[in-house]
Amino acid sequence: MAIDRKQVISNMSKIKVVGNEEGLIPAFNVYITQLPAAFWNGFAERLTRQVGAELLESAEWLLVNAAHECGYHTGYGIITSEEWKAVVQPMVEKVPEDILHGAFAVFTAWGWAKSEITELIPNEKMVVRAYDYYESDVVTYGASNKMSAYMIRGVCAAFMDLAYGGEYDPTGKTGLRTFQCQQVKGIECGDEYGEFVVTHAN
Amino acid sequence: MAQFKTTEIVLDHKFDPKTCRHSLNDMVHVLHCHHYATLYSRLADDCGMLDGKKLLAEVSEDTFSAFLIRYYERNTVQTIAEKIAIAEQYYAATGLGQMQVTCAGMESGEVNLIHSHVDEGWIKKWGKRDQPVNFITAGYIAGMFNALFGCAPRTYHVVESECIVSGAERSKFEVVRK
Repeated sequence: MAIDRKQVISNMSKIKVVGNEEGLIPAFNVYITQLPAAFWNGFAERLTRQVGAELLESAEWLLVNAAHECGYHTGYGIITSEEWKAVVQPMVEKVPEDILHGAFAVFTAWGWAKSEITELIPNEKMVVRAYDYYESDVVTYGASNKMSAYMIRGVCAAFMDLAYGGEYDPTGKTGLRTFQCQQVKGIECGDEYGEFVVTHAN
Repeated sequence: MAQFKTTEIVLDHKFDPKTCRHSLNDMVHVLHCHHYATLYSRLADDCGMLDGKKLLAEVSEDTFSAFLIRYYERNTVQTIAEKIAIAEQYYAATGLGQMQVTCAGMESGEVNLIHSHVDEGWIKKWGKRDQPVNFITAGYIAGMFNALFGCAPRTYHVVESECIVSGAERSKFEVVRK
């Protein structure tokens, strides 16, 4: 692997994000917000805890789907950005595998999750470990029975879509949701790290 | 001649290399795109499981009220005008848009948005629609009024009466004490 994670994280974590005179942050072909993690966690946790057991899976799917679409479009914006071209692109030797490793370094640098790929079978399976992630903050004491890293699940699947799902489709009609992700371990559940397994969608 | 000094928000951004988290004024903040915010808003709007719009607005109210109250306390921001200036600037700094509080009192208020992340993101993603979608900002405004006047959560009812997403030049929110 040619990607120098430490270097990418160091460089990409320094990017200044601040609203322009219109209060908007246009970057990477999308509009960005920089909101408290407690806001996103609050909605996801209250929603999944209030819908009841019968609707839990549906609610979780909706949350994962939001991240999946976000990860697909923003992920594409990142890997085609000037910042990427300057920092990560020169390290890429093997496509798309090195791009995937670089994307998780950026994912880490942006504060979504301190994560890395631990297993990658091209166009088949990816395992990601997250050693720190804001979604685990929903538990501050004890361990939950419910895994809560919906955002990471969606983004992991999206990155595999970008790598192996064919040409990027801005409409999201093709290319998106060719992969799915399951969370198998979670810091919020008492595990040492979160673990995410991405495979082809059924 | 009187000199008017504009209160400017101070946001201390830090990146913790150990946890790889970003914080503004010691509160963890994360970057997300308009796809995420609009999909959360759509999820809240379409949610048949419970009142998702109310839930999203309440979470927003709680989150931003907490940030602003802490900011006012730590920085000894005392006047209503200064507090409003800080709330408008924080709203813009987070990328949510350009907000103008046109009037505010203990019982009611009016707030305009000249630009809106959620509305403009929604139009970019799905086009215009005739119903409001900015539940996040309705909650932000409720939280801001709580913080301005020292009120408990759910003190204010906020209605979006005009929306950028519907083609209006500005979004307009009307605030009234319950």
